[in-house]
Amino acid sequence: MKAIFIVYNQAQTEKVEYLFDKLNISGFTRWTDLTGRGSVDGPPHMNTHTWPEQNTARLAVVEDEMVEPILEGVKLLDEVNKDVGIRAFVWNVDAMY
Amino acid sequence: MSIYGNAVKRPITTIMIFVALIVMGAYSLNKLPIDFYPDIDFPAISVITTYNGASAADIETNVTRTIEDNLNTVSNLKEISSTSRDNMSIVICEFEWGTNLDEASNEMRDALSFAEQYLPEEVNKPALFKFSASAMPILFYAVTAEESYPAIAKILDEKLINPLNRVEGIGAVGLMGAPGREIQVDVDPRKMESYNISIEQIAGVLNAENINLPAGNIEMGMMDYPLRIKGEFSESAVLNGLVLASYNGQTIYLDDVATIRDTIRDATFDERMNGKTGLRVIIMKQSGANTVQVARDVNAVMPGLIATLPDDVEVTLFWDSSDFIEGSINNLSNTLLFAGIFVILVVLFFLGRWRATFIVILTIPISLIVAFIYLYISGSSINIISLSSLSIAIGMVVDDAIVVLENITKHVERGSSPREAAIYATNEVWLAVIVTTLTVVAVFLPLTLIGGMTGELFRPLGFVVTITVVTSTLSAITLTPMLASKLMKLRKKPKRVRALSYDNTIGRSLNGLDRFYERTIRWALRFRIVVLIVALFIFIGSMMIAGKLGFVFMPEADQGSMTAAIELQTGIRVDETTKIARKIDKYVEEYLPEVIFNNTSAGSDDQGGMMSLFFESGSHRINYNMMLTAQDERTRNVMDLADVFRQYLATIPEIVNFDVVPNGGMGGTTENNVVVEIYGYDFESTSAIAYALADSIQFIPGATNISVSRDPSKPQLQIVPDREKMAQHGLNTFTLANAVRNRVEGPYLSHYREEGDEYDIVLRFVEEERNAISDINNIALRNMNGDMIRLSEVAGIEEHWSPPNIEHKGRERIVTVSVTPYKVPLNELAEQIQGKINHMEIPPEINMQMGGAVEDLNESMMDLMLLLVLSLVLTFLVMASQFESLKMPLIIMFSIPFAFSGVVLAHLATGITMSVISMVGGVMLVGIVVKNAIVLVDYINLMRDRGYELSEAIVMSGKSRLRPVLMTSLTTILGMLPLAMSRGVGSEIWSPMGIAVIGGLIFSTMVTLILIPVIYQMMLRRSEKRKKAIEYDFMNGNSIEQ
Repeated sequence: MKAIFIVYNQAQTEKVEYLFDKLNISGFTRWTDLTGRGSVDGPPHMNTHTWPEQNTARLAVVEDEMVEPILEGVKLLDEVNKDVGIRAFVWNVDAMY
Repeated sequence: MSIYGNAVKRPITTIMIFVALIVMGAYSLNKLPIDFYPDIDFPAISVITTYNGASAADIETNVTRTIEDNLNTVSNLKEISSTSRDNMSIVICEFEWGTNLDEASNEMRDALSFAEQYLPEEVNKPALFKFSASAMPILFYAVTAEESYPAIAKILDEKLINPLNRVEGIGAVGLMGAPGREIQVDVDPRKMESYNISIEQIAGVLNAENINLPAGNIEMGMMDYPLRIKGEFSESAVLNGLVLASYNGQTIYLDDVATIRDTIRDATFDERMNGKTGLRVIIMKQSGANTVQVARDVNAVMPGLIATLPDDVEVTLFWDSSDFIEGSINNLSNTLLFAGIFVILVVLFFLGRWRATFIVILTIPISLIVAFIYLYISGSSINIISLSSLSIAIGMVVDDAIVVLENITKHVERGSSPREAAIYATNEVWLAVIVTTLTVVAVFLPLTLIGGMTGELFRPLGFVVTITVVTSTLSAITLTPMLASKLMKLRKKPKRVRALSYDNTIGRSLNGLDRFYERTIRWALRFRIVVLIVALFIFIGSMMIAGKLGFVFMPEADQGSMTAAIELQTGIRVDETTKIARKIDKYVEEYLPEVIFNNTSAGSDDQGGMMSLFFESGSHRINYNMMLTAQDERTRNVMDLADVFRQYLATIPEIVNFDVVPNGGMGGTTENNVVVEIYGYDFESTSAIAYALADSIQFIPGATNISVSRDPSKPQLQIVPDREKMAQHGLNTFTLANAVRNRVEGPYLSHYREEGDEYDIVLRFVEEERNAISDINNIALRNMNGDMIRLSEVAGIEEHWSPPNIEHKGRERIVTVSVTPYKVPLNELAEQIQGKINHMEIPPEINMQMGGAVEDLNESMMDLMLLLVLSLVLTFLVMASQFESLKMPLIIMFSIPFAFSGVVLAHLATGITMSVISMVGGVMLVGIVVKNAIVLVDYINLMRDRGYELSEAIVMSGKSRLRPVLMTSLTTILGMLPLAMSRGVGSEIWSPMGIAVIGGLIFSTMVTLILIPVIYQMMLRRSEKRKKAIEYDFMNGNSIEQ
């Protein structure tokens, strides 16, 4: 099992939802109204007057084989416009209840 | 969930809410009355007291002074003034604006009930008269007749006035100049004396014979009959056969000593319509009724009523105030329409997309319609002020929607779905949008706080603009995102760019403009000292020009009407007055072809009643009421015509004084004049100063219509009884006075009744026997013994002069000299007159003051200055809290002085005189121009925060914000352009405001774009350096505080 953490501009919410629905991923945890900044480029999303945009994040624990299609979808979304911003990070899940 | 989130997620609800608003607005619009001005009741109440037979001086001491003293304690009283005329005292209490007149009149009644016990016995009860603009006549009809003329009053009363009174909304229908029927018994004194009869005897017979009396009942058999004596004259011819007395066994009838005529009243009044004899039917509406509707209803029933009149009676519409109102309202509605079209074109020009334009302009009707709801709820009407306010607001309501939509478009173009873009993009800007709206509100809301008449005029403006702008903001953060989420879609880059597409034409030139502006800013930042010096030079220069520009209180409107009050030598006979009136009529017909309707009334109509209050009349006065052709059909405006007419009147030697008022009469305009008030008790010295001043003012160029309020003294014949001689003959002053009165004026008699109407019977000497001093001397007085004694034996006749009217202001005697400027500014004229006053030698007990429109102007100026300060403080507060900085609002406020420079230059360029209206325009500019600077400064801050170096941030922001700034400025400018350009009816009042705002906005926009970046750079250079220093210190491990 893998944990996948997707953090994205809140303007992408519906598209990410669509992606999850399409891949039949039912379980996830979502945080809204987050702030953050990318390491490479793209505008920060700080919820300030200067950088007004905000992020939403999703954590989902999925079967190993689901990681690949999710990352593909994220990449697709990112390529529509690099400035909007979406990132995904994957790590191992050692144990679950 | 936020308001915009809800709006986007529940589109149907959102649409329903706005549809509900539109329905309510449409209902309100349908119900709103149409009027020229809002219902402004001039806060004044007059007290009219009559005291028959008293001279002006008696009235002053016995009546006016007592009433004035008692009324002086009424609360909220601003000023008390009065006029004492022969037989009549008028005290006018002027209150502060906004005073509840009902309470005030109650208080006045209390004070008067106290005053009454100090008034002479014969004085009639003082009557309160509240002057209300809504009670002004709304329609004048002219009636002319040939054969039916003698009976015209009765005919009109039955067939016209009574049916008209049934029309809804009509307050009163009055008749002026109608000839009254009366039965004249002209006694020949010689015949009367030869039969040894006196007037008193004849009067006794007439009163005793003309009587009906119930005399009880008699019961006869089964019936009960009331008994009546019927002696009333059944027809006027009966009078001929009245038996007066028996002389030497011969019966003497009334027609033996007198001529009896059933005729129309002595002409002391001559009323002409375009030179033909005629009379006026005056129609007044009820307070609060819709003028246009009432006028329409009356005009609809009129043809039917006219058809029932005899053929020779002609009724013509003389003046219809609804014409003027409808003209103005239509004109302003067109102005509003054009403003809307211009705004749409600007939005389309800058956005280049139909859907976006549609979303933005939808805020216009919604905001305007909410304003209609406000007008309806507040009991206001559609009038030139509310419509002009809408016209002013129309360019400002799209701004917020533009900002929101622009951000949504940015998000959509970056690939977001329109729904999310709408929510999140609105979230990013909604606060900024609200704050910019607050700066506008900070300026317009205080407009509702100004006092005085200016306040009454501009309160609706403040409310309407505030409400429309707030509505537009609400719509911008609800309806705009909702519509954007439904209508916007990602535009694919067209594969093949068409040669004439938006991007290729307008888009490209706008890009060019951006680049040009970028180069300009760079240049300005480099040569900032030059920019500053030029700006300072422009500002100081324009303020110096402003000092030279003239000032008037209100711009004069050409309402297509003119009145003139002409005064001849006092005491002149009506026939003579009429002759001069005919002479003037002829001149008007020949040399003033613009006059299409001319109504002349000469002399005084003693039966005119209340109507006579509106027009001062007297045997020596001629009043003119003229209507002009439509404005576009003539080359001379009403001011020019008035001047031509004045010059003609000055050439007639018989005319003592004249007052030609352009737009005078029923329109309710403020007259632009300078009034010099001369206070002092002594008639002779104050009159002398007034006339001397009037003479010296004549030589000031542009001073016209100079008139002195106190009429020249009027000759009076006084019968001075010699008491000793009277006593010898067994006479007293009372018998003497009554005898003279009965012979010249006529004794009190019963009325002749016919078909339910009463007519006076007037018994007196035939005219030839009572029009010379010798006739009066010849009057025979009868003593107790029945001896005849001639008046000359017991009394003398002396000629005296007495003032016909005595005016008070603040309980002191006053004479005023009023002057109307023609083609010179009001304030300049006032200064020149002040110069003349300074050269005069004035005794210490006489006090002089400036009043009139100059006083109003100064009062309004003070009010507006206060308003300006208040607006500046409020906008500063809003901006300082928005930016959380004291420096930013200061930078932004540098754009304000140049708005004023723009106002001055616009007036200079158009040649329009500055007025209170253009000053209000100037105050409004504070709120409008800071908006531009806020947009720019905010973006520079943003760029700096995002890490750009100061100059670079300024240049980038300028380039990026050029279009929004130009767009919001252009919508406001073009929205007001139709108002500024309009030349229709009533536009003279509003175009100066439009011109002021347009001039100020154009100028300050240019300055904002160049000067604000420069000032920003200069003010923040030091803090930028400090920022760098702090960073450096931090990096080196030093504490920041150092």
